[in-house]
Amino acid sequence: MAADGIRTPNPVGVRVILITSGVVACALAWGALGLGLSDLVPTSGGLSLAGRFFARAFSPAWQSEARFVPDGTPPLLEVAFEATLQTLILGAAAMSLALVLGLALGFAASSAWWSGAGPESRRGVYGMLRRSFLPFLCGASRLLIVVMRSVHELLWAVLFLAAVGLNDLAAVFALAIPYGGVLAKIFSELVDEAPRESARSLRGLGASGLQTYWFALIPRALPDMVAYGFYRFECILRSSAVLGFFGFPTLGLYIRQSFNATNYGEVWTFLYALLILVVAADAWSGAVRKRVLA
Amino acid sequence: MKEGTAGERIEVLWQERPRDRFVRASLLAGATVMVAAWGLGDFDWSDLFSARRQANLARFLEGVRPHPLQGVAWDWGGAWTWARDLFAARGAGAMATTLGISVLAISLAGLVSLVLSLPSARNFATVDPFAAPRPGTSRGLRFGWALIRRSTRGALIAMRSIPEYLAAFLLLAIFGPTPWTAVLALAVHNAGILGRLGAETIENIPSRAPASLRAIGGRRSQLAVWVLLPELLPRLLLYFFYRWETCVRESTVLGLLGIVSLGFWIDDARTRGHLDALVFYVALGVVIVIVGDLMSSLARELLRRAD
Repeated sequence: MAADGIRTPNPVGVRVILITSGVVACALAWGALGLGLSDLVPTSGGLSLAGRFFARAFSPAWQSEARFVPDGTPPLLEVAFEATLQTLILGAAAMSLALVLGLALGFAASSAWWSGAGPESRRGVYGMLRRSFLPFLCGASRLLIVVMRSVHELLWAVLFLAAVGLNDLAAVFALAIPYGGVLAKIFSELVDEAPRESARSLRGLGASGLQTYWFALIPRALPDMVAYGFYRFECILRSSAVLGFFGFPTLGLYIRQSFNATNYGEVWTFLYALLILVVAADAWSGAVRKRVLA
Repeated sequence: MKEGTAGERIEVLWQERPRDRFVRASLLAGATVMVAAWGLGDFDWSDLFSARRQANLARFLEGVRPHPLQGVAWDWGGAWTWARDLFAARGAGAMATTLGISVLAISLAGLVSLVLSLPSARNFATVDPFAAPRPGTSRGLRFGWALIRRSTRGALIAMRSIPEYLAAFLLLAIFGPTPWTAVLALAVHNAGILGRLGAETIENIPSRAPASLRAIGGRRSQLAVWVLLPELLPRLLLYFFYRWETCVRESTVLGLLGIVSLGFWIDDARTRGHLDALVFYVALGVVIVIVGDLMSSLARELLRRAD
């Protein structure tokens, strides 16, 4: 507190500490990785490849560029459309599972609907349940959420591929588990941070914890939950495209195949298909978020 | 509202609840897409539960047991030695690489986004920054600023539309499997995201300080350095740490492409069929993500409290 009564921020501000530690962390990272700027100079092969690849950015392929096209191969644009559709299908199917997981686990991991109850509900069988089972359920769900969301969707995919092999459902589960975990975490945080005044008035009228949760807390958090859900939908489409790199029939599969066959025009066709899908989803979810949060 | 029974008043309240046609249509469309996906997709449940898949699964569950303990009784000491050896041989180094890549990538992304957010903010990249447009400015000047703004915004969208993994796959062919490939791929994607968030932060700046400094003749560069940066820094740092968490996750995974982060050893264990090591490295990935999340939330908490 300065003498003139104007509150000054603490002299060695948090930002200074954070930025300094960031710089130190960068120096340490630089050393740990053994980086040199010379590694940033591409090899001559890499450079010419980059030239050939980026030269096709403005002339994507309209037809297959493969030297040998087997009979019955659909035209390139049809392949691109089908791959985009599969990206959307796997993403949307996974999103529906993730929403179910997120809502169920978000509810189980939240203590808002049972912890604040008055003394009258501490008695009897229900009270015993409340004291023993519900805290256990809550803790177990939180642990489950951490594990679900700490393993990246591509690592879930690697695990599923090793465990069962290539099946489109494996891709759906690989996406749904981490996305479900993130949704559960964010949903329960949003409910915890929702404005409390309606919850307090309902409680004052004698509503139970569960009633307060459903009729006062959830409705207040709902706009943020909808906004976040739409944002994650946009993300899951990107992830679904990338899963193609592991052999699932989404855009990543075709990007990898065409790139490895050095058909760079085709790569750009698929990249633009991905760009259209993602930008459209971005615009849609952005418009929804703007209206919901207004 | 004041007349009528409680039931009638509730009825009125219900009818007056905020409704938005577009949001409702979007919710309906989203639900339809999700239901339709299950019908349109090629989802073979019977294959998942076929004898072959079940045999795969049984083999997997058997292989996950640490290999010194396969076929013998479980022994914690043996499991500990196995884990310690794997960690010392590869795990520790790979974890350091993974963290290092994420730190460098997010720092690079942060610096680039600081620069790119300025020309994409609507109230900054305009003829009269932080002021109402004056009549009589030349059309060419206005067009020029609009062009700068729109092309930066377009570049930011393109940057964040390409998933990190895909960007790294493409850069790999150019730079080879050096850590730079992962750093650049992560930096490009996150600079796109942080740039957009930065532009939004500038557009929503609450104070009148930039307008006042502009009114007394401050240049755009002075506004950026002396008003925008100090005033918006806490907010930008919040976003920075939040994106760093995702960088830690992603840099683990980019190793699958051949860059020596944790993902490299995960892929290595998978191709060799060492399922025990595979699961061990995935677990190390979980540890590193949790550590990153804790550090980031600590930093964000400090920032919130200082604000």
